[in-house]
Amino acid sequence: MTIAQVFDYQRPETLDEAVQILAAHSGDVRVLAGGTDLVAWLRDEAVAPDLLVDIKHIEGLDQIADEGDALAIGSLVTFTDLLNSDLMASRLPLICEMSATVGSTGIRNRATLVGNICSAVPSCDAGPVLLVHGAVVHTVGTSGARRIPIEEWFLGPRMTALTPDEIVTKVVVPVPVGGHGAAYVRLSRYEGEDLAQASVAILAPPDHGFRVAFGAVAATPLRARRIEALLEGKALAPGLVAEAMALVAEEISPISDMRASKEYRLRMSEVMLQRGLQAAVGRLEGDGPSYGTNLM
Amino acid sequence: MRMDMSVTVNGEPWLLTVEPNDVLLETLRSKVGVKSPKIGCERGDCGSCTVLLDGHTVRSCLVLAVEADGHEVITIEGLHQGGLTELQQFFVDLNSFQCGFCAPGIVLAAAELLEEKPQPTREDVQVAIGGNLCRCTGYDPIIDAVLAAANAGGKRTR
Amino acid sequence: MTTLRPFEEESSRGLEFVGKSAVRIDGLEKVSGAARYVDDLDFGPDLLHAEIVESPYANAMIKSIDTSAAQAVPGVTKVVTGRDFPFKFGLYMKDRYIFAQDRVRFVGEQVAAVIARDPKVAKRAAKLVEVEYEELLPIFDPIEALKPDSELIHPDLGDYTHVPWFYPHDNTNIAHWRKTRKGDVEQGFADADLVLEDEYTVPRYAHCAIEPHVIVGLYDQSGRLTMWSASQSPYTQRHLFAEALAPLGLTHKDVRVITPYVGGGFGGKAGVSMEIMGAAIATSVKGHPVKIRFTREQEFYNTYQRQGVVAHIKMGVKKDGIITAIQHILNWDAGAYVEYGANVVNAAGLSATGPYRIPNVWIDSKCIYTNLPPGGPYRGFGYSEFMFGLESHVDRVAEAIGMDPVAFRRTNAIREGDILAYGAEMNSSGLIEAIDRTAAAIEWGKEETAADPNKAIGKGFAAFWKAPAMPPNASSASFLKFNEDGSMNITVSGMELGQGYLTAMAQIAGEVLAVPPSKIRVETPDTDRNPYEWQTVASHVTWSCGNAVHAAAVEAREKIFDVVHRVHGYEEESLYLEDESVRSSTDPEFKLPLRDFVIEGLEDSDGTFKGGPIVGSGKFMPEFTSTRSDPETSQGGHPNVHYTVGAAGVVLEVDRETGRMKVKKVALAVDVGKAINPSLIEGQITGGIVQGLATVLYEDMRFSEKGKLLNANFTDYKIPTAHDIPVETIPIIIEVAQPDGPFGARGVGEHTMIPAAPIIGNAIKDALGVRITSMPITAEKVALTVMREKTTSNGDCNGC
Repeated sequence: MTIAQVFDYQRPETLDEAVQILAAHSGDVRVLAGGTDLVAWLRDEAVAPDLLVDIKHIEGLDQIADEGDALAIGSLVTFTDLLNSDLMASRLPLICEMSATVGSTGIRNRATLVGNICSAVPSCDAGPVLLVHGAVVHTVGTSGARRIPIEEWFLGPRMTALTPDEIVTKVVVPVPVGGHGAAYVRLSRYEGEDLAQASVAILAPPDHGFRVAFGAVAATPLRARRIEALLEGKALAPGLVAEAMALVAEEISPISDMRASKEYRLRMSEVMLQRGLQAAVGRLEGDGPSYGTNLM
Repeated sequence: MRMDMSVTVNGEPWLLTVEPNDVLLETLRSKVGVKSPKIGCERGDCGSCTVLLDGHTVRSCLVLAVEADGHEVITIEGLHQGGLTELQQFFVDLNSFQCGFCAPGIVLAAAELLEEKPQPTREDVQVAIGGNLCRCTGYDPIIDAVLAAANAGGKRTR
Repeated sequence: MTTLRPFEEESSRGLEFVGKSAVRIDGLEKVSGAARYVDDLDFGPDLLHAEIVESPYANAMIKSIDTSAAQAVPGVTKVVTGRDFPFKFGLYMKDRYIFAQDRVRFVGEQVAAVIARDPKVAKRAAKLVEVEYEELLPIFDPIEALKPDSELIHPDLGDYTHVPWFYPHDNTNIAHWRKTRKGDVEQGFADADLVLEDEYTVPRYAHCAIEPHVIVGLYDQSGRLTMWSASQSPYTQRHLFAEALAPLGLTHKDVRVITPYVGGGFGGKAGVSMEIMGAAIATSVKGHPVKIRFTREQEFYNTYQRQGVVAHIKMGVKKDGIITAIQHILNWDAGAYVEYGANVVNAAGLSATGPYRIPNVWIDSKCIYTNLPPGGPYRGFGYSEFMFGLESHVDRVAEAIGMDPVAFRRTNAIREGDILAYGAEMNSSGLIEAIDRTAAAIEWGKEETAADPNKAIGKGFAAFWKAPAMPPNASSASFLKFNEDGSMNITVSGMELGQGYLTAMAQIAGEVLAVPPSKIRVETPDTDRNPYEWQTVASHVTWSCGNAVHAAAVEAREKIFDVVHRVHGYEEESLYLEDESVRSSTDPEFKLPLRDFVIEGLEDSDGTFKGGPIVGSGKFMPEFTSTRSDPETSQGGHPNVHYTVGAAGVVLEVDRETGRMKVKKVALAVDVGKAINPSLIEGQITGGIVQGLATVLYEDMRFSEKGKLLNANFTDYKIPTAHDIPVETIPIIIEVAQPDGPFGARGVGEHTMIPAAPIIGNAIKDALGVRITSMPITAEKVALTVMREKTTSNGDCNGC
């Protein structure tokens, strides 16, 4: 296994130290957390940093904190941590459902949710889920702390609103009030580990103010505003769902690549929306399929 | 940029000098001489490089050597310092493995599972080894052995 | 002189080890971490690493190579190119150079190598090798390559040396054309009540053994070349290395090949592919060991791939279900070099009738050069490739005459003594039993409905067969020795790929010598010490090497009886072995443990010793096979030793909307003659089915328009995980003895993946009413086919 390219490595003990390193360095710097994307990119020479800054020694970034009306996910929290968290399972089950679809155990033990949205590949699983929950990304940098709403986070494939001197400290995810149902449905080529070829996250709050977001079918994960507007406040009837499905083609712009054709992605996004809506509302009402059931 | 690091491998402390671009998998195999974690795909897709890092399975091809500084690595050589674990014995008795190249990674994944869930379901086993590719067996004889070991109360020992 | 006791005689006394699911003798090594593969071997601080420079073009002339910048990198030992090794190699045909000479023929072809002690330096320096190419128009479609005006990928085809039973067509892209003609197909079609004709397309596939190819070579200061190779074929490798490097003065005695455990082969580690570079490079850095370890990407595009094929089948049948004629045209996408792959084409060309008695046969199997990676041996060796079309077609013919597809196969099933397509006779086989038991296992005839209204359930069936495709003189040999504690070492040069071969050999020897397999070590190959084995391919080593081991054990037994007779007086006919001891049928009290004398000899009444170390040797080579036949008809030869037959059936659940499929139940019956170790046979069935299902359901190789493999990794070339397996697998072992096999055994290994693709195609037709005639049949293809079918109302989808 050979990484031929040469880079330096630093491992700050505090956030301040980390920010200072990023600010002082004029070249390409990458923050290293779980490394499950970054180390592969280094080997493939998809990135060519001069310096890696390993943040795993910084205290306080690996917690899932209960902030009352929200849960805060530290930037070193792994997908396994999320799956093992009773707090997460009871308050934000959609995050757990999504986490179980990412990679495999050996990947989830290292990969972080924050890393997933910092890599920001179009098929990133955390994106649609954080979008429907209206999460907020917290950063620190030379100009202090920022709070970036997730709607403003994804700028393009592998591009985010993070500036070179900034580090994400946590993602704060509001917990819907009064209960909710949700679903994360994913198109993959088989039951085993795969990147999503298309995905949809659905949040069904008690007032049916549905939130719908798609992943892997555009340059970034995106909210489906037209579909949300159509469904707003209504009871889910077959006719309404069919109308929502008919809007999918207007919301997303899938491509054909070696993983799937445009036609299949589009048609499956409609099917996933249908099955996801049914599951989300079922879960809201207490009789839906258990979280983690593969609806595809 | 050469860096000194210390890592415990299978219970033994090692002092190593590495470069930032040294990968843990290669470092274990060539500098520590532990051969059971294998090079299969170098992208974290096949699981044959799996080791336990502080007790959790990780893909050592996606970990830089220097990230293991101050940590503990266990491979199957270190899993059974007191003799084969019951889990491993079930794999032998049921002829679970064929070419054996995936075996070290799968044994560790199964050992991790039985530590966390002593009575796993068949689906739990599939999830636990879901990141370990095997081209030979079709997985059933492996899953059968893990469940048999669980039923017999077998788990990993150190 | 050694005589084989008929296996019936041995079996009639009851078998103690053969036929039992003995624990694998390599199991402990593999779960404990003790097992060593080539990349695990240490060669000390002097080990060099070679990084390969590869062509970015599918078809181009090499104008110049400038290695000066690479040579100048500190730490680079040497840079080599084709100039340094203008030598050809090849197993059945010599059409390939060790490194490209003046021309590259596929994306990824090796052009140069950079050698350094630090692999990172080699990788960096390799990028600095400057190669100037002049692009030529590449051909990727074998049908295009057949056109009379198409560019010649091998203009010098006429000059290539090859085995006498290959027929290249000079000045074309046809490297070999196997023609089989029996009877009169035109008459057969005229006599038929129904003739059905269609085309089936099967693309390329990758072996995906989890261990990548790796080679280490040391050309020591005495001029001896030792290679450590992850190979299925150490002796064939030695032969090809010696042949290719003969211009450097090397002969076979100067070359040694050592192969430890291999992490999966599936045919991909047969013959010689990247290893030839290791052998050549070693000679350029005399005195230093040098390693090439392929990355997973290189594994995908620069080792053998399973060839693609476009198959055109025409079948004639009478109302009562009897097949009257078959015409099967196979146009193979064989890749840039066919030195091994041409035999895949040859094998298919002899047997593309399937396991049926058909009086009138016309098979054309054409090995066609294309500018894609070299095709070669892959589990099934042409049969996995052509059975998709054939068994799909058989179902359609049955349906067209209103006959149940299982009954149709039963009616036409080939039987012992029937004349094969090339004129020889079919061996004994349990095909009818296989068909019947498989049909019963999946409750054929009983329709099942899915609980979920989105889903449909269909059942699919296929019969299969395969014979080992080998030269007529492929042979095996074995040595056997005892140790002071009565244990044994057996040396063979077959490879333990995972199939359990070492264990099977131990069971065979143990049965003859009454020693438990747990006290028998079977050693992995070293061509200096272990005797000859042609290759571990063709599912033939249990049969061939099993016979050699059996013969060695019998020879050892005869020596044991001889010394006991000389010292104790018992007649040899009265002696037998039991429980690691010599017994006499005329003296029940006599029990002489083997360990007492197998090294030390037997003390005679006068205090002298007789006997000494007991060793045995054995060999096996079939003496009835011949490739001498009419090139225009294939009649007259006896190219195949025997066929292993079987059947498979599946219960498949399909989601109509998503196309996602779930194998609820799959049954596979195979006639192995005698299951030396039933658990190992079951391992082949379970594992082979999953590998076969993967080719039809998941694996999907994608090339760019310039011939570059786009998904050369496991992220995007999907092989099954533990989640992607049938819910229930039913292995069925059938034993209709192979008269010339050890204890009646014949081979199984490849066979279990052969029926997987057609049972899925047939099940989908049953479930959804659509016939898909191209592979892979992914969820996407099923979903889109159903969608389009709804809009067009035409039930067939050709070439979707």
